[in-house]
Amino acid sequence: MSKVCAIVGGGLAGFCAYATLRRGGLEPADIAVFGTDPDPAAVWRIRSASIRQRRMRSESDGHCAPSSFPGLAVRAALRRRSAAPLVQSVCDRYNPRVDEFLEHVEELRAATRWDESFRLSRVDRVRAVDGGFEVDDHGVFPHVLLAPGHPGLAWPEELVADPRAVHAYAPHDFAETVEIVGAGMAAATEWLNALAAGASVVSVRRREPERRPLNLPRELFSRRGLAGYHRTTTAERIAILERYGAPSYPPGRAWDEPVETARRQGRFRVASELNGAPQVVCATGFKRGFRHDPLLARLVAEHGLETAEGWIVLTPDSTVGSLTDAERTLALAGAPAQWAFPAADTLMGAKYAARRFFRKVSAWRTR
Amino acid sequence: MAYTLRGRIESRVAAAFVPLLAGCILALVLQAWWPVELVGLMLGVGLLFDAAYHRLFAYQPGWAALPLGLLELGAIMGLARLLHVGAPLWAALAFYAGSWVLAQALGHAIFPLARLSYGEDGGELGRAGPGLAATALVLLTAAGGVAWATQPPVVHLAAGVHQGPLVLDYSQQLVGEPGAVVRGGIVVTADDVTIRDVTVVGGEHGIQVDSAERVLLERVTVLDATLDGINVRRGQVTIRDCSVSMRGNEFGQGIDISFTADLEPSLVEDCLLTGGQEGIFLDSVHAMARDNHVRRTTLRGITVTEMAMVSVDGNTVEDGLGIGIFCSDYSMCDIRENSITRIRPDPDSSDSMREGYGIVSHYWAHAEVEDNHVSRSPYEMGEFSDAYITSE
Repeated sequence: MSKVCAIVGGGLAGFCAYATLRRGGLEPADIAVFGTDPDPAAVWRIRSASIRQRRMRSESDGHCAPSSFPGLAVRAALRRRSAAPLVQSVCDRYNPRVDEFLEHVEELRAATRWDESFRLSRVDRVRAVDGGFEVDDHGVFPHVLLAPGHPGLAWPEELVADPRAVHAYAPHDFAETVEIVGAGMAAATEWLNALAAGASVVSVRRREPERRPLNLPRELFSRRGLAGYHRTTTAERIAILERYGAPSYPPGRAWDEPVETARRQGRFRVASELNGAPQVVCATGFKRGFRHDPLLARLVAEHGLETAEGWIVLTPDSTVGSLTDAERTLALAGAPAQWAFPAADTLMGAKYAARRFFRKVSAWRTR
Repeated sequence: MAYTLRGRIESRVAAAFVPLLAGCILALVLQAWWPVELVGLMLGVGLLFDAAYHRLFAYQPGWAALPLGLLELGAIMGLARLLHVGAPLWAALAFYAGSWVLAQALGHAIFPLARLSYGEDGGELGRAGPGLAATALVLLTAAGGVAWATQPPVVHLAAGVHQGPLVLDYSQQLVGEPGAVVRGGIVVTADDVTIRDVTVVGGEHGIQVDSAERVLLERVTVLDATLDGINVRRGQVTIRDCSVSMRGNEFGQGIDISFTADLEPSLVEDCLLTGGQEGIFLDSVHAMARDNHVRRTTLRGITVTEMAMVSVDGNTVEDGLGIGIFCSDYSMCDIRENSITRIRPDPDSSDSMREGYGIVSHYWAHAEVEDNHVSRSPYEMGEFSDAYITSE
């Protein structure tokens, strides 16, 4: 056993953790990353391209580098030789371009020597053993961070076998009339995409979406809101997670004006049920809950981990309490880590888990 | 950023650390305590406001730092004035601006680089936070302690009459208890002397300041001096809330400050000056005379002369003979918002300037005037001997 850490999951959450560990002084030889694509942005790239996303919902610090400064606004200001991104950033009006974000990922991938640690392998099983965790047959690692990502695309049951249906996060074009199911960020993006492509849009939704700049209220990204969140009972926390799991997308004219114009032209309307359009776009996000992820489901079953509804119960530092002590760490990052950080499926959430994972590793190394 | 209260306090104190050090160094270099007092005020006001911000803002966007910074600046400047912190305005503003910019750089760049979870910890600095706070507190306490220890000794003057003249030839604070009277005058020859709450009766000069700087005369009353009420030569003084009565004194000045143009500016404010030739006489000085009440002078109410640069602001001059405010001999006078009433012509003089002018500019002097009110006097303003008066 020569590696200190294993990161299971080669997506953006795993990449954030890797960058944080590297900044903390770990060498590529100390870290093993297991994933299905050496490009940490591979899956995200396909999904954002599918919904033709041009700007991130996150702001200047929505990046993968370990420290929030310099953020993407600073990078943009330097590159464009303009203070505008900085001014927008202090006014919370800066959303990085997708291409700038992907460029940053590429640069960081090279700078951190990610490829030296990456192993092309889908991990099926992580098992607690003496001195750490056995990761398939790759050996035993004292510290493991699981960042398996979303367990798959969520489809409305009635559309699973419907040939008209396509998921928003899969590549697609638009028919003349399209029904878009959902009311979150992907749905709102798809309304604009379909309208821009000349289609008529029916927004199929059961509730009105909330409008907020980020996935969650801002105080829930810091200890200010998290302290209260971590004090909640199981039932209260489930209620919070369900509440904030409801669809939302940012406020602003850029979202509203095209829809309003189309509404006046009779090209946009809201409906509560599907009504036979030739194409149905399912902007219904991802499956939720550890049970949809074979690796996590097996981990829970084999170790009798505490769960609540679809969430694995974690300590506030995003670790599995019953499997973490001074000798070893099992941490979760990304969407499955919502019990510790409600916005765990964001880049901020990935870094929250990464920083706490690094603290565990660092404490272990300096003992 | 969504600060926690602890995060606000730790960030505030940590950001004040460098200004505090700078303040201590400046205090040593300038031999003045205002930099430390200013940092203390900045920190105190900031921490007080932090408690309010914590309740008001669950999340504070970056742009809010600017209006909140200006709000704090206003509070600090107000308190500095109230507490008589002797900081030069522009130096104090520059110090505050520098500290604010540094705090922004620390909050947005340096703290997040030094502590990765700075943002998500709500501005808390982890183990370094209490350490920094304690160090800053120790530093501030130490500086305050040194300031306190090096303050001039306080000499209490008991109630009753003390025979003068008193000669103050070392740095000290002479504080009179109610009813404390010095008969025969006080002479100040040392720097950093304060005289407060003392009545002086008689003497050639009631209070004489001779080649001494940073002298503060506060709430002093001067009666029956035979020459000047307060006489300053080659000195730098702040005279505040004084009362000088020169009734029956034909030739003396209420306050005479002369030959100090190469020193820091002097200030005369909120004084009541009655009788004498001139109420305030400023000769070859940099000074400000503001919010004083001058009455019943026999030559001029306020005189600025001999290449002096003086701001005459918000004074009341009344019942004078000849001239209310006089700017003369290549002086530059900024005369604003004064009220000048009942200046009478001088029947014993053939000098045309003395025919009852509110404001006179004389002999190559330049008086800049604005918003003065001259009433019940023969003439509002006059220019004589190549002098001129302008207004914006």
